[in-house]
Amino acid sequence: MKVLVINAGSSSLKYQLYDMMDESVLASGRVERIGMDSSIVTHEPADKPEVRDVSEILDHVTAVKRVIEMLIHPSHGVLGSMNEIDAVGHRIVHGGEVFKNSALVTQDVKLEIRRLFDLAPLHNPAHMMGITAVESNLPQVPQAVVFDTAFHQTMPDTSYLYPIPRVLYRRHKIRRYGFHGTSHSYVSGQAAKFLNKPLEELKMITCHIGNGASCCAVLDGKSFDTSMGMTPLEGLMMGTRSGDLDPAIVPFVMNKEELTLNEVNSMLNKHSGMLAVSGLSSDMREITDAMADGDKNAKLAFDMYVYRLKKYIGAYAAAMNGLDTLVFTAGVGENSAAVRKAVCEGITFLGIDLDEERNAVRSKEAREITKDGSRVKVLVVPTNEELLIARDTFELVKAAQT
Amino acid sequence: MLFKTVGVVGLGTMGQGITEMLASNGLDVIVVEKTQERLTYGMEMIVLSLDKQIEKWALTQAERKLIMNRIETTTDYEKLAGCELVIETITEDLESKKAIFELLDKICGPDVILASNTSTLSLTELASVTQYSDRVIGMHFIYPVSKIDIVELVRGLKTSEHTFSQSKYFVDEIIHKKGIMVFESPGFVTTRLICLFINEALHVLEEGVASADDIDKAMRIGYSFQHGPFEMADRFGLDSVLAALDRMFREYGELKYRPSIVLKKMVRAGHLGAKSGVGFFKYDKDGDRIS
Repeated sequence: MKVLVINAGSSSLKYQLYDMMDESVLASGRVERIGMDSSIVTHEPADKPEVRDVSEILDHVTAVKRVIEMLIHPSHGVLGSMNEIDAVGHRIVHGGEVFKNSALVTQDVKLEIRRLFDLAPLHNPAHMMGITAVESNLPQVPQAVVFDTAFHQTMPDTSYLYPIPRVLYRRHKIRRYGFHGTSHSYVSGQAAKFLNKPLEELKMITCHIGNGASCCAVLDGKSFDTSMGMTPLEGLMMGTRSGDLDPAIVPFVMNKEELTLNEVNSMLNKHSGMLAVSGLSSDMREITDAMADGDKNAKLAFDMYVYRLKKYIGAYAAAMNGLDTLVFTAGVGENSAAVRKAVCEGITFLGIDLDEERNAVRSKEAREITKDGSRVKVLVVPTNEELLIARDTFELVKAAQT
Repeated sequence: MLFKTVGVVGLGTMGQGITEMLASNGLDVIVVEKTQERLTYGMEMIVLSLDKQIEKWALTQAERKLIMNRIETTTDYEKLAGCELVIETITEDLESKKAIFELLDKICGPDVILASNTSTLSLTELASVTQYSDRVIGMHFIYPVSKIDIVELVRGLKTSEHTFSQSKYFVDEIIHKKGIMVFESPGFVTTRLICLFINEALHVLEEGVASADDIDKAMRIGYSFQHGPFEMADRFGLDSVLAALDRMFREYGELKYRPSIVLKKMVRAGHLGAKSGVGFFKYDKDGDRIS
């Protein structure tokens, strides 16, 4: 079975085509600048050179059409005809409280995703356009939706409620949803497989630290708590997002600086985090380079980043009353040996014995970076959200067919 | 209808605001002015405004670059032929506006919407010089355009239902403001009510009832206005307020629209408000109030 995975944004669309026989990627690519007369399609077939095409793509329907044309193109395509696409899986940022698992797209499911526009005004409408676009191009092909929030739906109310008037939860569904769920789910599963132990028996903390960053406490194989909240702003310090702060700062700054809601939102989401503290960059590589050159602000940004991450790991170890496995994933987690080292060396009391040589190795495989015999195992597990979306889609479609 | 490219005629205060707002909403904008100097000055003001937003953390450098890349400036009206909508925003003068509409009508295809940002003039009269008068409509934005999310959609006698619904869609869905339907009448809703408010405040000042600062305070704090009537007038431009009142006075013939003597005197002295640095209060060159 061949599954097409789509991640639709408001003016972009990323895709990957999987052959589920061996979970291999046949092709991947992206459409950028949808809605303009010079949209760019970048198509990367698995064993042929990359193709770039600039044309007018005014909407998502045309974008999906172009993607299919690329996939079945006689010279750089990878399929004989579009009938070979057996299913399409979509990444959806917000599944609210309704979606606890991935689901096949039905009329009801679409209606529910629409209801969630309020909670994810930037993302869900774009995802919806992706679904509609596939429908009009491939009307017979079953579609599935995989939610960033679904994995965290197992959190107990002690984790997901905020200590504010309960009526706000009832009226507006204000609660912790958490994000990066697909990634936390994937890497926790991969980590258990790597350790050759059942996930249900491990107390695990997964750190998805990339552009956005979140931690997840995985207990009994389920998400027990996670650092992102109702929106992806809460929790860890990130590239340009502040993460946790005293909520009273918001009205105080709005008053002192005469900021509007939009301005303060943009300040916390785009002008804060490492970028604000370093005054230099939101990119961890540039921060560590500058730190090596003796830049004091870069060092402060790095130290704060690490400090805040350590606090979350400590908090979740306490929340679960123990810790067996710590997992690093995503851009920074997979590539920054410096961050991993600084974090691990600051929380040795938990029973972490870092192996510096193992930590320094660069690899695309899951690996342990603690010494043999370290009580807590620290792993680096490359994330692969697209593969999990393809798997979920495959399973759902297969189950529906039988 | 798909809105991708919007034309703006005139890069004065309102033209700058409208251009910036359109580009911020992802639209390609073609701006036309009479001279290169005016274009250069207008674009400088847009850059200044975007820089102020970066200072206030509302924008990032990358976003500013994207916005600026969407704006094309020209002195050639023919360039507007490729637009789906053209918004005229030159000085509030009937004859000049008529000349622009006559020109636009010839350049732009019959299904291109021609909108005027007029606050007081008759759309029916502007449309009278065009061959396809059903596509002429009023689109009255309020200063500062990026912050005030209301647009008066003004129907002239011949404005078609189609033109109105397309304009309403544009305002509500593309630029994310609220469009209200207004039938042509001098000053529409917003200008008529706010100018009377300012004019009455001027009478209160003339009569020595209270100082400008105290009147502003009373209305600002007492009735949750963002600015009191005098700072509001300073920010609109006292010349614009005077012109609007004059026109409504002429059209309605009612005394309540007669502009206050103080207002006339200040305009004659060149105290035009924020844009000239002095009006009822003083302003720096960024338009921030200093006294």
